[in-house]
Amino acid sequence: MATRYAAERRFRALGFLAVGISVAFLAFLLFTMLAKGIGGLDLAFLTGSDSTEAERAGVWGALKGSFLTILVTMGLAFPVGVLAALYLEEFAARNRWTDLIEVSINNLAAVPSIIFGLLGLAVFLNFMHLPRSAPLVGGLTLALMTMPVIVIAGRNAIKAVPPSIRDAALGVGASKMQVVFHHVLPLALPGVLTGTIIGMARALGETAPLLMIGMRAFIVSPPQGITDPSSVLPVQIFLWSDEVDSAFVEKTSAAIIVLLLFMLAMNGLAIYLRNRFERRW
Amino acid sequence: MAFAAILLVAASAGLFAFNRAKGLRRGVGRLNSLPVYHAIHAAIWAAAPAILLLTVWAPIQNGLVEQAVLASPAGQALPDFEMQRDSIIGEAREIALGQRAAGFNPESTTLAPVYGAAMSRYALAGGLAAIVLSLAGAFFALRRQGVQFRARTAVERWVMGLLIGASLIAILTTLGIVLSLLFESLMFFSKVNVGEFLFGTTWSPQTAIRADQAGSSGAFGSVPLFWGTIFIGAIIAMIVAIPLGLMSAIFLTQYAHQKVRAWLKPILEILAGVPTVVYGYFAALTVAPMIRDFGIAIGISSASSESALAAGLVMGIMIIPFVSSMADDSIAAVPQAMRDGSLALGATRSETIKKVILPAALPGVVGGVLLAVSRAIGETMIVVMAAGLAANLTINPFESVTTVTTQIVQLLTGDQEFDSAKTLAAFALGLALFIITLILNLIALRVVRKYREAYE
Repeated sequence: MATRYAAERRFRALGFLAVGISVAFLAFLLFTMLAKGIGGLDLAFLTGSDSTEAERAGVWGALKGSFLTILVTMGLAFPVGVLAALYLEEFAARNRWTDLIEVSINNLAAVPSIIFGLLGLAVFLNFMHLPRSAPLVGGLTLALMTMPVIVIAGRNAIKAVPPSIRDAALGVGASKMQVVFHHVLPLALPGVLTGTIIGMARALGETAPLLMIGMRAFIVSPPQGITDPSSVLPVQIFLWSDEVDSAFVEKTSAAIIVLLLFMLAMNGLAIYLRNRFERRW
Repeated sequence: MAFAAILLVAASAGLFAFNRAKGLRRGVGRLNSLPVYHAIHAAIWAAAPAILLLTVWAPIQNGLVEQAVLASPAGQALPDFEMQRDSIIGEAREIALGQRAAGFNPESTTLAPVYGAAMSRYALAGGLAAIVLSLAGAFFALRRQGVQFRARTAVERWVMGLLIGASLIAILTTLGIVLSLLFESLMFFSKVNVGEFLFGTTWSPQTAIRADQAGSSGAFGSVPLFWGTIFIGAIIAMIVAIPLGLMSAIFLTQYAHQKVRAWLKPILEILAGVPTVVYGYFAALTVAPMIRDFGIAIGISSASSESALAAGLVMGIMIIPFVSSMADDSIAAVPQAMRDGSLALGATRSETIKKVILPAALPGVVGGVLLAVSRAIGETMIVVMAAGLAANLTINPFESVTTVTTQIVQLLTGDQEFDSAKTLAAFALGLALFIITLILNLIALRVVRKYREAYE
């Protein structure tokens, strides 16, 4: 009897240990980055552009590039994702073609991000001759990557709207299109937005596909528009990590702190929106 | 410019239709659709066909301009060597667009005005055609407008077309990935034997830039790369992630209080949200030196500072949330009756978990593990920063190995022109990676779906 209870206690301790190791690793990582980088965080760092000298290097160019890239990404992925989700949930018949679309969207959501980089390189740079390393191309590539995530989140949000709402609207005389756009979509919007913000946070932290489309160069001045060559924050971190000068360690860690703060803010926003606006039917 | 003109036509057509609808309504008493639908109907017919024409015209225009430039006297004088000719034309395009002041080749400066003239000629033709189409569309829409006209139905047909188009983009993306990877890979396999690529064990991707360059023998055997990927992603990372992830899920669902679970679960989700470049930097900066010192301390002298163990460890920790959340979902889906029955028979909680719940939740857990393996195999930044570049077939986790994704990055961010076997090898590797992750994902989803039916 006692051995069984001892085994029970051991098992429970193992579970606690597992969770503890994960949390401890996260704390270790955050603490290391904070310790190494907090000294480098100042206004000059946040407003200065990249430089070969560690003392003068700043993240402003990368921040602006990230902002422009995310703008393009969301401008493309959000409408396409939401409209596709609406069609697939509300209008599409259940036949072989829509099954194929659903399977391909689910697969796209799990494809490694570097494959999207290869796609961007082959199609956007070499076939369409768009400018290398521009937020336009980066945004297009990341939009292709984020769109399946938004479609899946959108479908779940639309599925959660109860049928009684649709039936009531139809009963009052609305057309199918009016039911979807005037009644279902506004109610599903909080869930869609939560999924979109999470997708946006993922896109913000992506490095590999942007390396493929040429964002590996050394960019001195911040981009003026979406067709100027630019860098993004994660790529900047990657480039600085390669630098031999050990003074860049502080800069890299400081940039990582900035990136983590953005991620925290966006995920926090998503959680806040979810708790505030999402309705439990 | 043409775009602005089209918008102007659309706006005025819409406004005109709106006012006419309101007038008709005053006269007749009731229309089928609200005036705003009449306005949107007119605006869409004015704008959409013309904009479609412009988007289709852009690539056609590029081809026509290049043809015209090559046919011109300055174009005839260009060298016959295709790569050089293409780069001169590319530079001429950039000069004509104002993207750069002068090119490396002197011929591009003389070619630029020819290019610019051809571009403006064809752009003018396309723009005029679009404006004419826009006016025709507006005319057509306004003619259709009448007292009995069902404007809302017409607009809704356009919206449906938009919805279907959006859904097709998803298929187009998959098709685009497969086609572009296949196309470039086929070019690669025309230069390198498929058998050598799939089964060769030497990876040394050098190709000659000039014909007489020494050291130009390229060996494209990808077995060391796949071994590195599997070693780091499927073996070391899974040794870390599966026990920790599974036990975390069990602890969170079975043992933790509701309040503890409420803040512990988000913390695990933060692990999934940290960008991989941060993990890679942390692995290279802190974990790898620790592992190397540990390896040297226990007597392995070949311990490198870019070890498979460092990359695998950090990657395993990154994967924990994936395993944990899938396991969590499948454990939660096991009916409470089974758990209660086992406890009622006198089993302890750990015995219930080991003998009743886990076997019932196993398909979901296996699906989660497969998805996690697929994620780990495709991971790039951690291995680029923490593992090495040397293709090495070894079981020693303290040595450095390279992976498929590292090599893809390495091959494509160098200074090679696009057609060489070296850069094309990256696409072949990408195709292999895509196929492998696709198969893993399909199996995982199949397993999870079959499991879902068991309890419904």
